[in-house]
Amino acid sequence: MSNNRVLRVKNLNVRYQTQQGPVHAVNDVSFDVFQDEVFGIAGESGCGKSTLIRALMRLLPDSAEVTANEITLSGQNLESMPERRFREEVLWSKMSLVPQSAMNSLNPVYRVGNQIMEAIQAHSSKTNAQARERTAHLFDIVGLQPDLMDNYPHEFSGGMRQRAMIAMSLALDPGLIIMDEPTTGLDVLVQERILRRIREIREEISSSIILITHDIAVIAEMSDRIAVMYGGYFMEQATAIDLFETPSHPYTLGLKNAFPSIRRKGQELISIPGSPPTLIGECKGCPFWERCPFSVEHCSNETPAIEKLAQYHEVRCFRHKDTPQLRELASKKGTWLSLD
Amino acid sequence: MADYILRRLIYMLITLFAVASILFLMFRMLPGDATLQVISPAMDEAVQQRMKAAFGLDKPLLQQYFIYLKNLVTMEWGRSFVTAQEVTAIVSYRFWNTLLLMVSGLCMTLTLGIGLGIIMAWKRNSPLDIGGTVVGLIFQAAPPFITGLLLLMTLSYRLGLFPTGGMYPAGARPDSIFGLLLMPAFWERIVLPTFTVGMYYLATPLLVMRDSMLEVLGSDYIELARAKGLKSSVIMFRHAARNALLGVVTLASILVGFAVGGQVVVESLFSWPGMGQLMVESAASHDYPVAQGTFLMLAILVIGLNFITDILYSYLDPRIKVSAEGISR
Repeated sequence: MSNNRVLRVKNLNVRYQTQQGPVHAVNDVSFDVFQDEVFGIAGESGCGKSTLIRALMRLLPDSAEVTANEITLSGQNLESMPERRFREEVLWSKMSLVPQSAMNSLNPVYRVGNQIMEAIQAHSSKTNAQARERTAHLFDIVGLQPDLMDNYPHEFSGGMRQRAMIAMSLALDPGLIIMDEPTTGLDVLVQERILRRIREIREEISSSIILITHDIAVIAEMSDRIAVMYGGYFMEQATAIDLFETPSHPYTLGLKNAFPSIRRKGQELISIPGSPPTLIGECKGCPFWERCPFSVEHCSNETPAIEKLAQYHEVRCFRHKDTPQLRELASKKGTWLSLD
Repeated sequence: MADYILRRLIYMLITLFAVASILFLMFRMLPGDATLQVISPAMDEAVQQRMKAAFGLDKPLLQQYFIYLKNLVTMEWGRSFVTAQEVTAIVSYRFWNTLLLMVSGLCMTLTLGIGLGIIMAWKRNSPLDIGGTVVGLIFQAAPPFITGLLLLMTLSYRLGLFPTGGMYPAGARPDSIFGLLLMPAFWERIVLPTFTVGMYYLATPLLVMRDSMLEVLGSDYIELARAKGLKSSVIMFRHAARNALLGVVTLASILVGFAVGGQVVVESLFSWPGMGQLMVESAASHDYPVAQGTFLMLAILVIGLNFITDILYSYLDPRIKVSAEGISR
């Protein structure tokens, strides 16, 4: 991991206005992405991870209100950048996306290759022949036969479409590639092949990757650093090793319990009782307090601040000083059941 | 692709055959004896028999049917009871007149409906969106003969902006269809009937286009197109409208069938010498050969236009060609 920062986000908030009141989808999120690294964001559905990246790419509807103290991509201030310049100079050429549903993200009426060429030609003055050549090369990188370029999306399988989406994201050598659940909806074997391909590509290119997934196994396997998101907040942020060796937030501890591990064979999985908050209305306190077995009195009415535990290890919890003790308790099923 | 067109052609021929058979039966099942127009019961019995034999009406029904089919194919559609002209000559002249008006009406409906539908969906809930819906629905709710009459009353009779009817000024009959198209007087006269049918059917493609646009705009590939940093106009037309169009093309073939109904009213109202008007005239004067020829020709027109929209659809949606090759969609 180099110290060259590609992306810096400081105090990002996203609010939606709905008929039931304001929805606080992303709250006070700050993080950095360094060159060549994979930054993973883990969280269950509805925790705000997709909203977060849509806010970064300005893909949210007008009803969403995005505020931040700083968003800098490769030294450029994105926050104050006018819409048109953002579209022409940042989107896809500096920051590209591998969308959540590769299945439906290709336009059904155009040939796959042409859709990649379109992205290339929208941001460069390449001729058709040059763009075609580049597309063929990209197909080759992701392990697709270049002569499949002239096929339509419906002639591709799910895995092939996902590869095509990855090829498209690489088209302009962006500094940052955002992968939103790149393997969701694919079967395990295809998933493994896609992940292996992403790892191989990482060796060849210098792009940083933000990897978003609800799959702890995938994120553990792929990421250098990981942020755990819950209720619109980053609860814990650490290097992958720290996060799995010394998890410090009660939610991270709960998540770890809920996933099978090869090393701890035969161990019973423990789920976290309850369900995530709806994020509607003014939220007070820690979003996790109702499901947290370690909550104390002020958890329900005060939002904990971010505490730094190590250089890359941050946690948002009032009880961050008690973590060794909490870790011990969290591995017992009774601790979690006492909440029901 | 050739395989697909061939298959469509065969379907088209089967449909035409079915229509022709139904027409044959229909005209023989009509109450009253159609032959009374020509073979007067006041004539001598033997003369009546001889005339019936001359028309082939003494033969069994099935044999008459085969003769009828043969005559259809060889373009011997009989003579008018009223003018004794060849039916094919009368109908073919009228056919082009109807085609001109129908195509111009459909073109107006479809271009206006599709274009406005795209913009209305893009600017959802804007005054244009709401106004467009209201105007479309008003014209759909108003019967075309009312709209047409109001137009004639205000624009033609009061303001004198447009001629009151017909296709060309009296006595200036052009000798060919090209001669007709070169006449400014013709274009003056086609405006009002086109507007009347065009607006009558506008609401359907307009609302369908708007709806399918809205659906497409919410799809994942539109979000990806935005993420790619494409211009809004490219997203709106190349990505969204191109897909939303598929729904409207399906609709267009249904619309063609409906257009015949509006055609009859509008042609009568604007004295347009087309098949709709001919249909009304021949039915009123019990001119059965002409009526039969008109029905058949209108059926050919509708089926033909349907065939074109089918081909167009397969061109617009690449997934259709595959299913024609036997791979499921």
